Amino acid sequence: MRALGIDPVHETRQTFDGLLSAMSRPGTIHAVPTPADHAVVATLVDHEVTLATDDDGLRETLADQGRLESAPHEEADVVHAREHTGWDIRECKRGSLVEPSDGATVVYRVDALGDDATGATVRLAGPGVDGTETLSVDLPDTELTAVATAQAEYPRGVDVIFTTADHVAAVPRSVQLEVA
Amino acid sequence: MTDHTTTDDAPSDDRSFDDSAPDGGMPVSTASVDAALESLDDDGLTGYNYAYLDEHTKREVRRSMLKAVAIPGHQVPYASRPMPLARGWGTGGIQASLSLLGPEDRFKVIDQGADESVNAANIRRLAETTAEVETTTDTTDADLIQSRHRIPEEVLTAGQRLVLQVPITDALRKVDPSDAANRRRHAHKNYGKMWVHLYENVVEYGEINIASRYPTMVAGRYLMDPSPIPRWDVPKLDDADHLTVLAAGREARIYAVPPHTAVEPLAFEDRDFTVERFPEQACHACGSTDTYLVEVSEESADEDGFETRYACNDSSFCRKRRENPELPKDHHLDREGVDWGPETPDGDASTAQRGGSE
Repeated sequence: MRALGIDPVHETRQTFDGLLSAMSRPGTIHAVPTPADHAVVATLVDHEVTLATDDDGLRETLADQGRLESAPHEEADVVHAREHTGWDIRECKRGSLVEPSDGATVVYRVDALGDDATGATVRLAGPGVDGTETLSVDLPDTELTAVATAQAEYPRGVDVIFTTADHVAAVPRSVQLEVA
Repeated sequence: MTDHTTTDDAPSDDRSFDDSAPDGGMPVSTASVDAALESLDDDGLTGYNYAYLDEHTKREVRRSMLKAVAIPGHQVPYASRPMPLARGWGTGGIQASLSLLGPEDRFKVIDQGADESVNAANIRRLAETTAEVETTTDTTDADLIQSRHRIPEEVLTAGQRLVLQVPITDALRKVDPSDAANRRRHAHKNYGKMWVHLYENVVEYGEINIASRYPTMVAGRYLMDPSPIPRWDVPKLDDADHLTVLAAGREARIYAVPPHTAVEPLAFEDRDFTVERFPEQACHACGSTDTYLVEVSEESADEDGFETRYACNDSSFCRKRRENPELPKDHHLDREGVDWGPETPDGDASTAQRGGSE
């Protein structure tokens, strides 16, 4: 993934380290190599999974390496969105009761997370959270409400990763999400 | 002709090998196992990717690990790769560890509580040579701990991750050998058959008589096999500060217990979950009464025959306790009262012994 400016061995490992911390402690923010959304895609995506993205540069880079299997967002294993237009997270794959891990991973690129964010604030509770945790995301309330809907049928559901330029936070389906 | 000679020579070679180690070998210290492995040739490692696994394999393991964390207790399938040792020797744990390790990490490997086992030393060496990590035997010093069948006595912290090696992934396997049927049971949270098994246990033994792999509910949704850790270690997973990843190489499944997740061993209202009991026993080396002890049979010095002694199973903590017998299990934390693991109950030992595990 040199073409994206991400070292394929060590920076993807650092990205995974941040992602795993974010996923196991929902709502907490972790540093990863930049640009974070590309680093997350480079860490997770190859031809074994399908990808839906609105980022043409990313798609070309992956295709050049034989790592791109495109799919519409309703069928994709990984959904990556830089601009939030034209698709609905509630339509993404949620997996089956027998194999809920087939549910999609949705990667949002947002401007800011945490204290700098001016968008929606969510309250999180459940596995990985000691008591409750709050997270502010630069996305409209309606989008976070849609995330809550897409995660409502636990263990079926989608797992959400928010990325800024150089940080990630995650909201796995196991947590209860409430838009404050 | 050459073939015949080889075949004829083989039996005598075997005999001489057997003669050289009549009593099953000599115990060796960590330093000398590592030193022995050090002397082996490292040729052939050049050309391998960082941390041995290729990036395609790591992506597969990492994707499954993230899904496992997002669905606590659910067994996520992954494409388990052949490793340079046989499946069943920690290949799942190795794939998880090598997908996690970075050059700044400190890695500890234990096998049944011991850093000295050859299997643990080999896994450590693989990580050392291919992932350029530093290794340690000190639990509090490690960033990543790979373990077979134990959770360390010293409390794990938020900055640490634990990888447990798993031989059998499904807690329901002992009540139904069909994986397809068990996956349907997990899908519908249908654990009736396990409850019947526990009830039959109570009828037969007067208590739930399961030594290890104790069936455990994770986050109130999935029944999980916590790997063959003793019952003693199961409560350590409940509301822990650290992340636990359980990886099976042979069965190609990964599952996880995130930090601060409810982990509840199955039990009845009138038959509590109990941990192992060591009434009035203490470690013969460090004197601990609040650690998981194992029986050690040793030749006695003054008479023919053997005597049974108890020793700490966690050898690294035992070494620390020998220097400082008062050392609490949470000595490295700035908070107090987070001492984990059960106390050894010796007050009500006689009642607790009733219906023991004979």
